[in-house]
Amino acid sequence: MNDRQIQIVLDSFWPLFEAALKYTLPLAISSFAIGLLLAVLTALAQISGVRILKFIARVYVWIIRGTPLLVQLFIIFYGLPTIGIILPAFVAALIGFSLSVGAYGSEIVRSAIQSVPKGQWEAAYSIGMTRGQALRRVILPQAARVSVPPLANSFIGLVKDTSLASSITYIELFYKSQQVVARTYEALILYAEAAVIYLIFTSVLFVLQSYLEKRLGRSLSS
Amino acid sequence: MMLEIRNLHKAFGSLEVLKGIDVNLEKGKVLAIIGPSGSGKTTLLRCINLLEMPDQGTMKLSDRELDFQPGRKISSREVTELRKHTGMVFQSYNLFPHKNVMDNIMEGPVVVQKKDKAQAFKTAQALLEKVGLGDRGSYYPHQLSGGQQQRVGIARAMAMEPDVLLFDEPTSALDPELVGEVLRVIKQLALEGRTMVIVTHEMKFAADVADHVILMDGGHIIEQGPPDQVINHPQSARAQQFMNRISGEDI
Ligand SMILES: Nc1ncnc2c1ncn2[C@@H]1O[C@H](COP(=O)(O)OP(=O)(O)OP(=O)(O)O)[C@@H](O)[C@H]1O
Ligand SMILES: [Mg+2]
Repeated sequence: MNDRQIQIVLDSFWPLFEAALKYTLPLAISSFAIGLLLAVLTALAQISGVRILKFIARVYVWIIRGTPLLVQLFIIFYGLPTIGIILPAFVAALIGFSLSVGAYGSEIVRSAIQSVPKGQWEAAYSIGMTRGQALRRVILPQAARVSVPPLANSFIGLVKDTSLASSITYIELFYKSQQVVARTYEALILYAEAAVIYLIFTSVLFVLQSYLEKRLGRSLSS
Repeated sequence: MMLEIRNLHKAFGSLEVLKGIDVNLEKGKVLAIIGPSGSGKTTLLRCINLLEMPDQGTMKLSDRELDFQPGRKISSREVTELRKHTGMVFQSYNLFPHKNVMDNIMEGPVVVQKKDKAQAFKTAQALLEKVGLGDRGSYYPHQLSGGQQQRVGIARAMAMEPDVLLFDEPTSALDPELVGEVLRVIKQLALEGRTMVIVTHEMKFAADVADHVILMDGGHIIEQGPPDQVINHPQSARAQQFMNRISGEDI
């Protein structure tokens, strides 16, 4: 690297890092929160005895899992305006990512619920609980522990996937680095720099994840 | 009568498991259900608290009466109502692993019966002492031995102050040296006059605590009466065969 390139890297580091903090992370966190709620609702719909709820949940998961996230984002941001629904880039991205987390997360939550032994339902019923009470008090707390590791993985995946939002003009870390490249023509250096910043964030998450898993592992087995 | 069952039928698909069972159990009495594997003992027990829904027959528990008919659904309100008045102790304990011993016991009284927490705590503590675990309230199930877990299971069932306590082979998942401590607790409950239905393979125990014994085979009751009669002097050939085989295993 020559002096000019080093200067570009130094000058762009903080703006890129700031974009990650102010735009990438908030998008990831808020769509994860909404997506998680959707995931639980969808999982509950799928294990419910209500046929129409089951059907809606299944179609939703089918469509989201069966189509590319990038195409979904394009439909929401560029497609919907043609029928008069114009959304800011952040909202479009939020909807797209939430729907995605909801669909994939529902599979995690559902299998976690199903991993709770049948005897737990029966014990709950045997003390007179309703289905709802059994779910809330006995089944979901146990399912939550089981689903923490895979959900942590989806969150880390989501942080990286938010880079797709650059394609619908949401100015997050990756979009920002593209802007600098357009100005400086230093594609390799700047995209590598963006990668490093993603790596910083995901590394912190990896550490958090393994800490969380250790804690859970201890309380579950020991 | 505390429990009256008439002509109870239950099938799983095309497999008929209960083929017309009648049971009478007076308040304060202990009923033991014995019989070969697959004869329908567990199914009968689970029908009593509606973990299995009978296809046909009637059941009366205390003053609540249920009439089962094919195609007629018992409302979920009636189901939970009945379950509030029964307690069940499971072969594999089924304690709630995410709650400590005290919370396991208080869960029913507080969440289902909406009892005052302080009151429920006192009752739970007294129950724990009764089963010999007064100092284990803050332990989690995985920190206890099987015998201790099962005694918590008994305390949890008792906390609902049920009309009848149901036991499904409460000691068969236990190491032999832990069986005694659980049987002693159950025996104590019998002496206190709890109404209980116990499915068991422990013949000596059945003979010891039961007031009445039912021997099931192939979905029928093939012999019943006082323990001495059913266990030591069975009448039918089929019953004699079963008792002989069991006593053979004992030795
Ligand atoms: N949920 C179910 N679905 C299908 N078949 C079942 C179900 N539960 C029990 N059965 C069948 O019903 C029959 C009676 O079972 P049950 O568990 O009542 O026997 P049991 O007398 O308790 O036997 P064991 O001494 O082995 O516990 C068995 O053939 C069993 O395979
Ligand atoms: Mg059984």
